[in-house]
Amino acid sequence: MNAIMIIELKKHIQDKGLLFWMLILPIIFTVLFIAMFTANVDAATKQQVILSIVPGYVVMFVFFIMISMVQVFIKDRDKGMTSRLASTPIPPYFYLLGKWIPFMYIVLVQIIVLFLFGRLVYDVPLGQPFVLLILSICLTFTVTGIGLAMSVIVRTENMGIALTQIVALGGAMLSGLWVPLEMMPDFMQTISRFLPQYWAHQAFQDAMAGNTVFTELLQTLLILFGIGVAGFVIAILRYPHFLKRSVN
Amino acid sequence: MLTITNMEKHYGKIAALKEVSLTIPSGSCYGLVGPNGAGKSTLIKILASIIHDYKGEALINEILLNHDLKEKIGYIPQDICLEEDISAIGNLHFFGKLYGIKGKQLLKRTQEVLRLVGLSERSKDKVNTFSGGMKRRLNIGCALMHQPDLIIMDEPTVGIDPQSRRYIFQMIEDFKNAGCTIIYASHYMEEVEELCDHVAFIDKGEIVENGSVAELLQKYAIPSIYIKGSNITLEVVEKYGTASTKKGGYLLQTNEPLQVMENIILYCRENNIELERLELVQPRLEDVFFTLTGSKLRD
Repeated sequence: MNAIMIIELKKHIQDKGLLFWMLILPIIFTVLFIAMFTANVDAATKQQVILSIVPGYVVMFVFFIMISMVQVFIKDRDKGMTSRLASTPIPPYFYLLGKWIPFMYIVLVQIIVLFLFGRLVYDVPLGQPFVLLILSICLTFTVTGIGLAMSVIVRTENMGIALTQIVALGGAMLSGLWVPLEMMPDFMQTISRFLPQYWAHQAFQDAMAGNTVFTELLQTLLILFGIGVAGFVIAILRYPHFLKRSVN
Repeated sequence: MLTITNMEKHYGKIAALKEVSLTIPSGSCYGLVGPNGAGKSTLIKILASIIHDYKGEALINEILLNHDLKEKIGYIPQDICLEEDISAIGNLHFFGKLYGIKGKQLLKRTQEVLRLVGLSERSKDKVNTFSGGMKRRLNIGCALMHQPDLIIMDEPTVGIDPQSRRYIFQMIEDFKNAGCTIIYASHYMEEVEELCDHVAFIDKGEIVENGSVAELLQKYAIPSIYIKGSNITLEVVEKYGTASTKKGGYLLQTNEPLQVMENIILYCRENNIELERLELVQPRLEDVFFTLTGSKLRD
């Protein structure tokens, strides 16, 4: 498993496209949207907008890692690498973990950089940094877990990109990452409770403000962790079908 | 010894393998030949432990094919399965580690394999800078890191230059001399004829014939004579056997080639016909292949 992890990390580090999608683009969007929404507002409202947008865009943009995950798995499948590795003594769950864990590192670095950017440029508070770190690790696990399941389910890269857009953008919209949840209709607020983005966003905001309630944090962590585990279980169950579609 | 007994595999309603039984002697180079979709790759994937849902059994030295035997098998796929953005040495380390090789042993074995595949001087270069032949050789090298007893090669010479092909042939000869058992699947009959001691022809999921190359040539391939000369007509040639036109001359199939050649020379003398070419055409494995599988297009 370590061999797969190391080689995947090497490849990701060399991938300049990943740097653009995971860091540069989110920073550009954050700057643009904060500038747009705070153009003619008072200082208090501006601070409120910033406190919502920074964690909101962090949560939204981490989901785009799923595109890279799908690309890596589909490429492996189509060039025969999945079959090739299946012929070695590596068990399927080590193959999946070896591919999965490097993406967790990337997403964790992404979250840390984006929060530090918010801190340095917009002076956002990081009231409970340890809670923020635990939440970031858990969100990382969730997002990449969903990405892992999606990667072995989708048949084509385009299908993966389309599904990522639905999950990332649809989830962002329904979870109050773009507009405050209170402004949304009741049924949409109910739907948001079933989405990881909602739980992550609420918990991030609380931790930034230093208002985390332990039971609520635990509930959020369990939900996020549960979704990640479900993703891994789905990936394990789906792996034999994925292998069958491998060219060689 | 590898023994395959009553192996069956279906993809939905399509039978990819139908009761395939083969015995592959230890230390032999065994050719697996058949048209596209014949079932070669399916059989190879089963032996490489990539496909698990099949009927029948495969025994390697009396042991049923299982996960532990993967360490004795080196699988060289038809596609080049390398990490393009990583160096040759990085790729070999990667595959070596997958088989549990580490530390000094890994470094030593990597150098040995690099020498074996002729890539020592390019070991630190990324694979995406390599030619097709170099990639093929490295693809083979990756399967040799753990020193397998059974090497399964699926079309290992597709799309490479003659020098690399010759180099790979020499490597295969070396494997044979080292006592490895080799399964060699290919469309190229001349390669199978040159490298393999035994061959199995597979068509529509069935083994239609198998045996030593010499036996099969003797059994199926009819010797031919090539005749070319002015004033020689097809009607004249057909008197001596089954004839067809080829490159401005005629190809004559006969079971008594030397006798027929003598008769043709006599005929030409008597009729003042000038012979440009008269030569014995050795039977080839390709002829056996077409005899067994037919020459109609399959795709």
